[in-house]
Amino acid sequence: MAKIGVFICHCGENVGAKVDCTKLAAAMGEHPGVAVSVEYKYFCSDPGQESVKKAIRENNLTGVVVAACSPRMHEATFRKACAEAGLNPYLCEIANIREQCSWVHTDKDMATEKAMDITRSMVEKVKRNNKLQPIEVPVTRRALVIGGGIAGIQAALDIANAGQEVVLVEREPSLGGHMAQLSETFPTLDCSQCIMTPRMVEAAQHPKIRLLTYSEIESVDGYIGNFTVRVRMKSRYIDIDKCTGCGDCITKCPAKKISSEFDCDLGKRTAVYTPFAQSVPNIPVIDKANCIYFKNGKCKICSKTCQCDAIDFAMTDTFVDLEVGAIVVATGFQVQNNSVYGEYGYGTYPDVINGLQFERMASASGPTAGKIQRPSDGAEPQTVVFIQCAGSRDPSKGVRYCSKICCMYTAKHAMLYAHKVHDGKSHIFYMDIRAAGKGYDEFSRRAIEEDEAAYVRGRVSKVWQENGKLMVRGVDTLLGRPVEIAADLVVLATAMIAQPDAKEFAKTIGIGYDEYGFYNEAHLKLRPVESSTAGVYLAGACQSPKDIPDSVAQASATASKVLALFSKETLEREPVVATNNEATCAGCWGCVLACPYNAIEQKDILDRSGRIIKRVASVNPGLCQGCGTCVTFCRSNSLDLAGFTEKQIFAEVMGL
Amino acid sequence: MSIEQQYQARAKELLSGGAVKMVIGYGKGTTGNRRRPIFISSPDDVGRLVLDDSCIINLSGYLVSEGLLSDEKRVAVFLRPEGIRAINILAAESQLDADQIVIFGFDVNDNELRALKGIHVEEFADVIGSIRENNPGFADKELLEKIEKMTAQERFAFWQEEFAKCIKCYACRQACPMCYCRRCIVDSNQPQWVNTSSHSLGNFEWNIVRAFHLSGRCVECGNCDRACPVNIPLRLINHKMAVEVLGAFDHVAGMSKTQEPVLASFKKDDSETFIL
Ligand SMILES: Cc1cc2nc3c(=O)[nH]c(=O)nc-3n(C[C@H](O)[C@H](O)[C@H](O)COP(=O)(O)OP(=O)(O)OC[C@H]3O[C@@H](n4cnc5c(N)ncnc54)[C@H](O)[C@@H]3O)c2cc1C
Ligand code: SF4
Ligand code: SF4
Ligand code: SF4
Ligand code: SF4
Repeated sequence: MAKIGVFICHCGENVGAKVDCTKLAAAMGEHPGVAVSVEYKYFCSDPGQESVKKAIRENNLTGVVVAACSPRMHEATFRKACAEAGLNPYLCEIANIREQCSWVHTDKDMATEKAMDITRSMVEKVKRNNKLQPIEVPVTRRALVIGGGIAGIQAALDIANAGQEVVLVEREPSLGGHMAQLSETFPTLDCSQCIMTPRMVEAAQHPKIRLLTYSEIESVDGYIGNFTVRVRMKSRYIDIDKCTGCGDCITKCPAKKISSEFDCDLGKRTAVYTPFAQSVPNIPVIDKANCIYFKNGKCKICSKTCQCDAIDFAMTDTFVDLEVGAIVVATGFQVQNNSVYGEYGYGTYPDVINGLQFERMASASGPTAGKIQRPSDGAEPQTVVFIQCAGSRDPSKGVRYCSKICCMYTAKHAMLYAHKVHDGKSHIFYMDIRAAGKGYDEFSRRAIEEDEAAYVRGRVSKVWQENGKLMVRGVDTLLGRPVEIAADLVVLATAMIAQPDAKEFAKTIGIGYDEYGFYNEAHLKLRPVESSTAGVYLAGACQSPKDIPDSVAQASATASKVLALFSKETLEREPVVATNNEATCAGCWGCVLACPYNAIEQKDILDRSGRIIKRVASVNPGLCQGCGTCVTFCRSNSLDLAGFTEKQIFAEVMGL
Repeated sequence: MSIEQQYQARAKELLSGGAVKMVIGYGKGTTGNRRRPIFISSPDDVGRLVLDDSCIINLSGYLVSEGLLSDEKRVAVFLRPEGIRAINILAAESQLDADQIVIFGFDVNDNELRALKGIHVEEFADVIGSIRENNPGFADKELLEKIEKMTAQERFAFWQEEFAKCIKCYACRQACPMCYCRRCIVDSNQPQWVNTSSHSLGNFEWNIVRAFHLSGRCVECGNCDRACPVNIPLRLINHKMAVEVLGAFDHVAGMSKTQEPVLASFKKDDSETFIL
C-alpha cells in the first residue's frame, strides 16, 4: 500500500501569497494513498528538512512529494534528505507550484485549484516510482583545456599545479590570445607582455602540461569523466623537435609583404613566421597560402637556410586521440569588424582604427615600436578622438549588450596617448562611463583629471576627411549642442563579440550558446562556470565579454571544479537512463540515429547455435544521458526511461 | 508480347533457374476488375499472374512477413513506383535487404500500362526522382480543394465526423507496408495510451498516432484507404503530412535506400538552437 507524504512549502510569500496552502494540504490529505499532508513556511530550511525526515521515519512513508519551487532548485536537497531518512532518493518528487503556478497566476482560487492538480499528478507519479541506484562510472583524471589565452593558461596551470595532467590545445601557432597583443593593462598600467609571457613559458614547460599549438579539436565524444577527443595538429611544415627557434628562416623568407594578423594589419610578416617575437613555442609555421614555394613550386630558401634540417614541405596534418575526464573551454572572443559603421569610415580612411590596433601601436614590441602615429603618413597625431560603444549597446548595427571593457580601455588609451604625446589632445565620446571594478573608477577619473582627456557625452554621427584631417561630428548631450572636432586619428572602441566559429564549435563539443554565440553557463548566478553539459566548464571571454581579472578568476574557478571532479576515482551518475524492450523492438534504428549521445548500439539476439534471430537496439547506460529523445521517437513504444517511465508519465497525466 | 506475358516469362525464368524463390504478384480476384495478391513459388504457376490497370495494391508489405527473407534468398515482387519507394524506406529502416528484392516494375498512365525498366531498387532512381519534382500526390483533387478551403473549425468538424465512423479494426495498419512493428503502440496496454473502444477520443488518438507514425514515410499508395471498411479518406491525412514534411524538412519519402528517416535524424548545423 502506498503511503505518500505530501509537503507543501509556502516558500515564504512566493507560494503562500497566491496558493491557499492550508486548503491544498487538506485536499491532498484526502487523496488515496496519502498518509501525511502538511504545510510549512520553508521546507528547504534545516527544521523543514528535519520535519520531512521525521515524517518519513514515523510513518514509514513509501514516497514523498514536495510541492514547492522548481525541481532545478531543490530536487537534490530533498532527495538527499529522504536518503538520510532511509528512503530511496528516487522515491521523492517535486511538484512545482511556484514557477508553474503561484508566480504566473493572480487569482488565488484558481491558482489553488491548479496547485492541487499539479500536486495530485505528482502523487500519482510517485506511487509508480521505482527505487533507483546511482550509476558509478570511472573518471579519467586528465583535463583538456581548449584555448591558450590568459584564461586557458590560468586554468591549465592551476590544474597542473595541483598535480593533475592537462592537455592545452591552442589553434594559433603561439599561446597568448588577445592579452599578448595588449600594450599596458588597466587598471594598473602594467605591461601586458611582461606579465603574460612568463605564464606562457610556465605553461609550456610544466611537466604536467602537454601543449599542442597550431591544433584544433576535430571531435568530442563521451561524457563527464570519460571524453574521447580527436585533435588535428595542423602541419607547420617545420619539425617541432628539430627546430631550435633561431629564426634564420624568417629573416631570409622573401615573401615579406604579408599583413600581420597579430599586429591587426598594421605591420607585415613573412610566409614563414611566428606571430610575435616572444611566441611560445618559439617555433615558426609556414603559411601555405602565402608561401612562394607552395604557390609556384620554386623558392625553398628557408629550407636552404635552416641548419637543423627542420623544414619539411611534405608534412601533413596529424591526429592525436585523447582520453580526458573534463574539458575547459577558453576560446575567447573577437573584436567586431567596424566596417559596418560606414559613417565612421573604418576601412575607408586609414586613420580610423580600432582599439586593438591602438594597443598594437602603443605596444613597445608592436609595429611602430610603441610610437603613436597615423597609419596614413606616420605623423604623430595632435588630436585624437575616441568613440566608445562603437558596436556595443547598439541593436541596429552592433550588439545589444555592453562589452564591459571598452570604457576602461579607452580611458587607458587616452592615458597612454597623453604619456607618449605630451601636448596631444584627446576627446572621448561616450554614452555612460561604466567603471565598476576594483580601482576602475579611480582609473578613469585619472584619465580625466591627470591626463586631461576631454569626455563628451554623446554619439558621433559622422566622420569625414577634409584637408588632411578627420572631421568628427557628434553631439554633446549634456550641453545640448552639436560638436565638430578636427582630428588626426580616430579610435573606435569596438565591441567584443564571440569567435566567428563559436556556434559551430559549440556543436562540436556539445554545449549551448546564446543568440550572440557566447557559451551558456548552467546557471547564470549559481553555476556560472559550468556549461549545461556535465564535465565541460567555461573560462574567460568565450562565456561573455570580460577583462583579464575576471577571465583569470573564472579560469581558476573552472580549475577548482575540475579538481573536485578528479578528487575521486569514480563518479556517480543519475540513474535516469533509457532501456529497450527487446521483445517488441522492430530494429528500425531510428533511435540509433536520433540519440544525440550515440548511446544506442545494434545488438544481435542469437539462438543456441549462434544464429541471429533478431537484431535490436541496445542502450549503453554509461553513455545515455537520459534525454528521452529515443523514447519519443520509437514507434513501437519499446524504449522507456527510468525515473520517467511511461507508467509514471501516464499516471501523472491521468492525475491532472 | 504484352507486358503481362513478358513478366510471366521472366518470372518463369527466375523461378526455374532458382534466382528467386518466390514471385509476389497479382492474380484474378473475386470479381472481374479486382486483383488479389498471389504468391508463386513454382514455375508452372506463372500463368496465374495478371498484370493490367486494375493492379493497384502495393505488394511491398508482404516482403516483411516474418521469416520470408531470413534465408537470404531472393524474392521477386510486382511494384508500382509507390511500391518501389516503399522498398527504399523498408531498406533504410533495416527491415529488408534491398539486394534480395527483384522488382517487376510497372506503372499506369492514362489507363495505359507501362513496364518500368530495372531489377534492383537503385535502377528506378529516375522514375522515383520524377515524383519528387512532379509530385502527383493526392488523386482526389476535388476533396483536397474542399479541405484546403475549410477553416480550422470546419476541418476539425470534418475529421470528427470521419473518425466517428472508425471501428478500430486496424485494417489500415495491417495493409500499410510501413506498419511493420510486431507490437503496435495500440496493442500496448501498460499503460494504455490509445483507448481501445471506438469512441471519439480513442478514434482521434489512433488516427493521429497513425498520421504521425507515417509522416515522412508514407508513399501514398492508398492501401490504407482501400482497406478501410468505412471509407475514411486516410490517405488525405498522410498527403497533408507529406506536404508538411516537404515544406519543413525538404524530404520526400523513399527516394533512396540510404535516406535517413526524417524524424529521427538531425544535423548539427540546424538553425534551431536546441540542437547543441
Ligand atoms: C582593445 C582591448 C584592450 C583591452 N585591454 C585590457 C586591459 O587593459 N585590461 C584587461 O583586464 N583586459 C583588457 N582587455 C580584455 C582582455 O583582452 C580579455 O579579457 C582577455 O584577453 C580574455 O582572455 P581569454 O583567454 O578569455 O580570450 P582570448 O585572449 O581571446 O584567448 C582565446 C584563445 O583561444 C584560442 N582559440 C579560440 N578558438 C579556439 C579553438 N576552437 N581551438 C583552440 N584554440 C582556440 C585563440 O586563438 C586564443 O589564443 C582588452 C581587450 C581589448 C579588445
Ligand atoms: S526506435 Fe524503437 S523499434 Fe526502432 S530500433 Fe529503436 S527501439 Fe527498436
Ligand atoms: S535517453 Fe535515449 S536518446 Fe537520450 S541519451 Fe539515452 S539513449 Fe540516447
Ligand atoms: S499510410 Fe496508407 S497510403 Fe501511406 S504507405 Fe501506408 S498504406 Fe500506403
Ligand atoms: S481501417 Fe478504417 S475503421 Fe479500421 S482502424 Fe483504420 S481508420 Fe479505423
